[in-house]
Amino acid sequence: MPYDKYETVIGLEIHVQLSTKSKAFCGDDTSFGGSPNTQVSTISLGHPGTLPRINKQQVAYAVRLGLALGSRINLRNTFDRKNYFYADLPKGYQITQDKAPICIGGTVPIRLDSGETKKIRIHHIHMEEDAGKLMHDSNAPVSLIDLNRAGVPLLEIVTEPDLRSAGEVDALMSGMRQLIRYLGISDGNMEQGSMRCDCNVSVRLRGASQLGQRCEIKNLNSMRYARRAIAYETRRQIDILETGGSISQQTLNFDPSSGTTSPLRDKEDAHDYRYFPEPDLPPLVLSESWIQHLQSEMPALPWDLFERFQTQYGLPAYDAELLTAEHTTALFFMDLCRHTQAYKAAANLIINKVLPFANENACTLDAFPIGLPALAEFIQLIEQGQVAAATAYQQLFPAMAEEPDKKPMHLAEALQLIQNSDADELEKWVSAVLEANPEEVSRYQKGKKGLLGFFMGEVMKQSKGKADPKLTTALLKRALDA
Amino acid sequence: MQIDKDLISRLEHLARLELSESEKDQLRGDLNNILILVEKLQELDTDQVEPLVYINEEVNVWREDEVQGQVDRHSALQNAPQASEEFFIVPKIIDL
Repeated sequence: MPYDKYETVIGLEIHVQLSTKSKAFCGDDTSFGGSPNTQVSTISLGHPGTLPRINKQQVAYAVRLGLALGSRINLRNTFDRKNYFYADLPKGYQITQDKAPICIGGTVPIRLDSGETKKIRIHHIHMEEDAGKLMHDSNAPVSLIDLNRAGVPLLEIVTEPDLRSAGEVDALMSGMRQLIRYLGISDGNMEQGSMRCDCNVSVRLRGASQLGQRCEIKNLNSMRYARRAIAYETRRQIDILETGGSISQQTLNFDPSSGTTSPLRDKEDAHDYRYFPEPDLPPLVLSESWIQHLQSEMPALPWDLFERFQTQYGLPAYDAELLTAEHTTALFFMDLCRHTQAYKAAANLIINKVLPFANENACTLDAFPIGLPALAEFIQLIEQGQVAAATAYQQLFPAMAEEPDKKPMHLAEALQLIQNSDADELEKWVSAVLEANPEEVSRYQKGKKGLLGFFMGEVMKQSKGKADPKLTTALLKRALDA
Repeated sequence: MQIDKDLISRLEHLARLELSESEKDQLRGDLNNILILVEKLQELDTDQVEPLVYINEEVNVWREDEVQGQVDRHSALQNAPQASEEFFIVPKIIDL
């Protein structure tokens, strides 16, 4: 099959579970992993005569995301009922925003493997509520329902069909996850279902301007599945077109065990949601001043910091990417750079020592045991050649973590890590080594320059590792080449 | 627009009702009468009129983000036609 003739066109609907303490329209606890049906109320259970009331934090979170993406914030918000019967939806309808979504337009930059940036357009973002969880009993002809999740606030982010490969989908999902974590509006945990996506996939001949008929793949809850589902679906559609068939618009389910997609429902029994305005929730009229207040509380955005770390701090893109992956890491780096000018050394220290240490000891960077002034002093000891870099990383750093109250200089002295750069003493070691090894000296002088390393090693032995390597090399060369 | 038998069957399915033939006939008549009334209303020019959705003019009925008002599991499950100690139980759902 001539698969190369075609390009894949993908648009996403990303569902993000917001990290509010309580649900969207009632006060139930939203914590993950609670015992089944213990985080429910008469409202989330859909009892008659109950009234929903909107969580203000949920709206603030939605605005925050819209501001980050440069969306237009819709100041007059209304809600609609999406009607369907399903056992995980006690009310018989989902409260959503069909007519007046809270954010319209905007873009999100994604970084491609090539290092280039591509802007993906956002169609809109709307607020809605999650459904409950269904479990199927394998022994009995019944399904079990847990309504703890019913009514948890969601944002649905709908993109334009701007993505062209599974790799770009991956980049968008990681970028979005990073952003929502920076904004503090969701933990972005795909394993726990805090973030999931539906992919709208179509194919068309390269260069064609018309979009092909699309199919929607539902509920992809991991990037690995999304990648496989898109690859499979692309080939399936091309195979149909190349054998003279046509694509029918379908909703598909991806089966991870077989790696294939199969129709969930056809057009004939397509849902008729009969949307109508939710009369129980009065409109939300957001004030410009509240939006401005939310704007003033916005953190720096990951893609801005990625740029700034390269331009202002002169870091390579690789370092900038690692340091901006999490907001706390980026903040830690910038704080450390207030104590030292050696930005690259600071980046190295965080990437190679601080992050692995925090990871192994399960501590957050906010509670990192070694203070910033001490870390800055540590960098200075290396930069000024007082402690060799390898020794500092292997011995001084663990000592600082043990005794964070002591000054690194004092610890280095106590551990005898301070390099000796006293030229007189070094001279003595150098001449002692040369005298003790006359054969090697003559071989060196006949051209076996590789022996310099041997002399260096001998001096280090004599000095118990405290000889300054740079100075020693210079002294050795001077003595040997004379 | 005429309400025909097919549409009645579709509405019956969407509302998860099971109607007898005579109920269907009666509903078809009622719904057709309602449509005639609506068609009459549509003679009015309402182009410049905003649809009335909310009867009172209140806006921004917020809640602060606080956990409150939950019911315990025993109460939550007590009205269910079928339940276990922990879950609501329904006939098995295979298709999504």
